[in-house]
Amino acid sequence: MIFLAPWAFTIGALAAADVVFLHLVARQRPAVYLLPTTRFIPDQRTLVSRVATRPRDLLLCVLRALLLLCAGAAFARPVLTPARGATAHVVLLDRSRAVANPSDAVARARAQMSDGVPVTVIAFDSVPTVLARPAWDSLAGAARAETPGSLSAALIAARRASVALAERVDSVQLHIVSPVAASELDAATERVRAAWPGAIRVARVALRSDSSTTWRLDRALPAADPLGPAMASVRVAPGARVTRLVRGTPSAADSVFARDGETVVRWDSTAAPRPAAEGLAAGDDVIVAALGRVPVSLKGRAVARWADGTTAASEQPLGKGCMREVGVALPAAGDIALHPPFQRIARGLLAPCGLTVVETSADSTTISRLAGTAQNAARADALRSGTDRTSPLARWLLALAILLAIGELIVRAQVGPEVA
Amino acid sequence: MSAGPYGALLDAVRGVRWPAARRVMGATLGAHPSQLRGNSSEFSEFRPYRQGDDPRRVDWRLLARSDRAYVRLTTDRATFRMSMIVDASASMAFPQPGLDKWRLAREVAVGLAAVAHAEADPVGFAIAGKGQTVFAPRARRSVLLEMMRALDATPPAGTTAIAPLIASARASRIVVITDLLGDADDLLAAAGLRVASKGEVILVHIVAAEELNPPDEALLAVDPEEPTLRRILDGAMRAQYRETFSRWLDEMATAARASGIRYVRATTTEAAPHLVRRIAGESAHRGT
Repeated sequence: MIFLAPWAFTIGALAAADVVFLHLVARQRPAVYLLPTTRFIPDQRTLVSRVATRPRDLLLCVLRALLLLCAGAAFARPVLTPARGATAHVVLLDRSRAVANPSDAVARARAQMSDGVPVTVIAFDSVPTVLARPAWDSLAGAARAETPGSLSAALIAARRASVALAERVDSVQLHIVSPVAASELDAATERVRAAWPGAIRVARVALRSDSSTTWRLDRALPAADPLGPAMASVRVAPGARVTRLVRGTPSAADSVFARDGETVVRWDSTAAPRPAAEGLAAGDDVIVAALGRVPVSLKGRAVARWADGTTAASEQPLGKGCMREVGVALPAAGDIALHPPFQRIARGLLAPCGLTVVETSADSTTISRLAGTAQNAARADALRSGTDRTSPLARWLLALAILLAIGELIVRAQVGPEVA
Repeated sequence: MSAGPYGALLDAVRGVRWPAARRVMGATLGAHPSQLRGNSSEFSEFRPYRQGDDPRRVDWRLLARSDRAYVRLTTDRATFRMSMIVDASASMAFPQPGLDKWRLAREVAVGLAAVAHAEADPVGFAIAGKGQTVFAPRARRSVLLEMMRALDATPPAGTTAIAPLIASARASRIVVITDLLGDADDLLAAAGLRVASKGEVILVHIVAAEELNPPDEALLAVDPEEPTLRRILDGAMRAQYRETFSRWLDEMATAARASGIRYVRATTTEAAPHLVRRIAGESAHRGT
């Protein structure tokens, strides 16, 4: 048993020692002596100082000392130290749309675990689900979610789960079994990762890479184009679908290009409107940045909207392909092009028609930061909550203290008037 | 008769005589000189015949020799009714656990009763404890045994006034065995009245050695008859206590003697046979 607030127990122990001391050397009523001639003793005082070799009223002394010790121990927040295992494992198992093969992810997670080791699996997509007793076979057979993953939410769930695990083990090892897609990271991920006091083992599995995610622009962007960084992570494969980006009004050739089954995107990203703080939503991504609104003339399905609900980009089928018009103007200066959410929106708006899933892998620097620089698993004491925790032992000790107080009252009533 | 624990005491006081301090009134033949002078064989003196004397008491031989009429006087002896009043209040249960005061009181009572009974005096007794046990004076053989049983069956407890027992005692000699820690003033007053009416009252004042010299350690003294009375008895208090207690003892002795009461102080260190002999001996000395 350990005490989380040992000072309280120290105070209780000191008080108990004081009680014993007072029972030993304080002013005491001496031993009662039946004397028929008591009336001849001058009536002056009823107490006398006497040094005793053993505590007076031993039962009362014991009750009082125990009462103070129990109360002190209760307020010291006792925690019974369980039989600890060496290391517990928490596995963040990616079940989002970014995972190419969910069963392979489960196999990778299972391969890292040995029998008898306490494992908590947190399957996550946009919402984490804690599985204290994972059924690996069921997990392997379960279908993948079609929602984007959130590593921040999964890390927070892991941090919470580890608090309970830390009571039983010496350390907790966190595993991430995920392709670590860029869409799974957000602005909070780095800060949430910093809250994990140990190393994270990242086991990367294959990113979902169906044919619809492989495409290219028919013309290379200029080096200074703000859309360049967004396109940098687009994989190009032989025979991939092609998107044509036009800055002005599409020409007849562009229409033919679209009718042949390709995609023409009209996006004058450097248009004149003065940038203002705007909210832009496309798919699962939302950004708030200094952007300029350009009226969209194309009547079709809205694929992006401003915060007030007006259409920011629309798409209209044309022949076998489609035409898309984007009314988002980027500021001439700034780093918005480097923001991952904007890059995802830009990729989505430049992607070929009918493409809804566009996943790219996070860069190696991000993954290295996710793994962290620590060498060891998180120590249990670092994972325990620093805030108040309820201890059932404290309640029992308080109840015992109350019982002892009642017993002290009864014994004191039986013993007689108390000595000051 | 089984004397039980009193056997040694009875053996020790056998042969002790306890004459009355003065001539007693009584017609029953006993061992004490009677105020009456009659026809017994114990010659005392001659007295000139006076008109009204019984002519049968005239000594005719002396009349023939001296030609004067003399009446022959003899000394009659009578019994002396005695009653023993034993204080069995809670204060007599001291010191614990030996109860020396109560033991001495019982032994003195039994010893004196045995001495009186041996002289054919009717013996009665009363025990004043939680209640009152009263036996009228009787001369039959079993009275001593009844007294022993009653005393042994009575634990000292409670408190009862002794003065009424003195006033109502049907005896000429009253022995009060007490520690005087109850109704001392009333007791002395009642005893004084008995003395004034030509009775004999012997007050045996039982004092425990521990009352005279309490233990040296600091104590919380509690009065057994009044538990709310609690006083500290330590070094400083002990000297004042001794002085006060000693003064009170002297006052009691003086007051008793001033009333004509025989006051005998008995400490628990004194052997009961010795105390019985002392009481009876002083009476004999007075009687002579």
